Amino acid sequence: MRAKISALMDGEIEGAELAASFAALTRRDAAAYEAWCVYHLVGDALCGRRPLSEGFTARFAQRLAAEPTVLAPAAAPAQPAPRRWIALSAAASLAAAALVGWLALAPQHGGNPVQLAQAPMSAVPALPAAQSSVASRAPARVPLPREADDYLLAHQSYSLRNSLQGMMPYIRTVAVENAAGRP
Amino acid sequence: MTRTGVLRLARTLGAAVAASATLAHAQTSPAALGWLRKIYQATQHLSYSGTFVYQRGDETETSRIVRVASGGTDVEKLVALDGARREIVRTRNAVQCYLPDIHTVKVDRHGVDSSNHEGGFPTMLPERLNGLARNYAVTLGGVARIAGYECREVVLTPKDDYRYGYRLWADRRTGMLLKARTFNKKDATLEQFTFTQLRIGRVPRDEARLGRIPHGWHVEDSTVQPVDLAAAGWRVSADLPGFEKIAEVKRKLRDTHLVDQVVYSDGMAAVSVFIEPLPAHGAGVEPGLSRTGATNIYTREVAGHLVTVVGEAPAISVQRIGDRVEYHPPH
Repeated sequence: MRAKISALMDGEIEGAELAASFAALTRRDAAAYEAWCVYHLVGDALCGRRPLSEGFTARFAQRLAAEPTVLAPAAAPAQPAPRRWIALSAAASLAAAALVGWLALAPQHGGNPVQLAQAPMSAVPALPAAQSSVASRAPARVPLPREADDYLLAHQSYSLRNSLQGMMPYIRTVAVENAAGRP
Repeated sequence: MTRTGVLRLARTLGAAVAASATLAHAQTSPAALGWLRKIYQATQHLSYSGTFVYQRGDETETSRIVRVASGGTDVEKLVALDGARREIVRTRNAVQCYLPDIHTVKVDRHGVDSSNHEGGFPTMLPERLNGLARNYAVTLGGVARIAGYECREVVLTPKDDYRYGYRLWADRRTGMLLKARTFNKKDATLEQFTFTQLRIGRVPRDEARLGRIPHGWHVEDSTVQPVDLAAAGWRVSADLPGFEKIAEVKRKLRDTHLVDQVVYSDGMAAVSVFIEPLPAHGAGVEPGLSRTGATNIYTREVAGHLVTVVGEAPAISVQRIGDRVEYHPPH
């Protein structure tokens, strides 16, 4: 079955075999279903696709429940038309994708998607911890201080970058968002 | 998985590995350093007038800039064309910032200080350019046309997370900088300066003349003086690879506050630490971070003083410098 899942993902199975494969995947073979999910998860992570939003599975299940043709496949004619099977297989794909999304999100509480190896150069080198009176916790994000342009002007003259760019960077020191609201 | 599936995964993995290898192994080239020297020379010696756009996040602002180079009496003028009226004039040792809407002129005057016995503003000496290669991989990029000039791109890729990266585009003939972009480690643009029109060459001195300060305007003068913070009980250090102290001064801010300032630089990025006393019975200050363009600002209270760290460096850097500030009463 696992070989079949690969073929399914690669779009190499067609026709009646496609329908049968999806039927097996969704109802009978738990291991095969898991493999299907994991393969997709790996593929998505490698391609850098973001997982689906939190609660997608639940919302999808609700919508799925409201779909009569999908809810009651047993009511389908004995000789199902291929079109109907395509609809079912598409639904199965979506359900699998939902589970993949859930798998990717679950351990991280909706935070970053699965992280793969990062470029080694971006690693922050460990520095010796200096004596400090504050714990290293993330400070609050706050609006710019009201006096920001005064600090920026006092700072700008020391930027060695001026030596490459003349006084262009001085526009930062009196940018509109600071100058506008002043008394 | 099938052969094609495995091949597809291998291809994706291969591309990711190749991309990271390119970044990690970018090596500074002598030709790229030569271009930095050329840009430096052009900035010191050229006269020009032009219009540039400053981009920061979703905002853009257009300004006029004029520079008249003439030996030791160079003068530059920047006039904001969008929003509130603002003009800044810079001479060798003073910056005057005219804000007509609030009838105010801010003057930042640089005399002799501890870091600079000649007076005037600190400049990047040509020999310091080579030092940049310790903190950045300096490489040549492609060729692009900007405001009618054929430009060569020079890329400064940071070697760690404590600084941003820079892309500079300079006129191939004169070395004049036409465009500069600051980017973070995700390669997102934080701010960008781009000339949309530029004329290099002789500019009438009148175009950059110092304005007379109209009667009745308020003048805020910074009066910068040298200071010894360690003697006053302050311990301030950069504690970041490649950042060195380039100035330690006391200045007036907003005409009333006396503020201590220590500046660190890695040759390209600069970070200032400001220390000023808080009102005796004011509310406490919670640590806070804010950002504008490529500038991060970190505030924190230490021993009844407000510490404000301002720098064109990632939040992690300004926060680290701010968190290292300590006060021990002198004996």
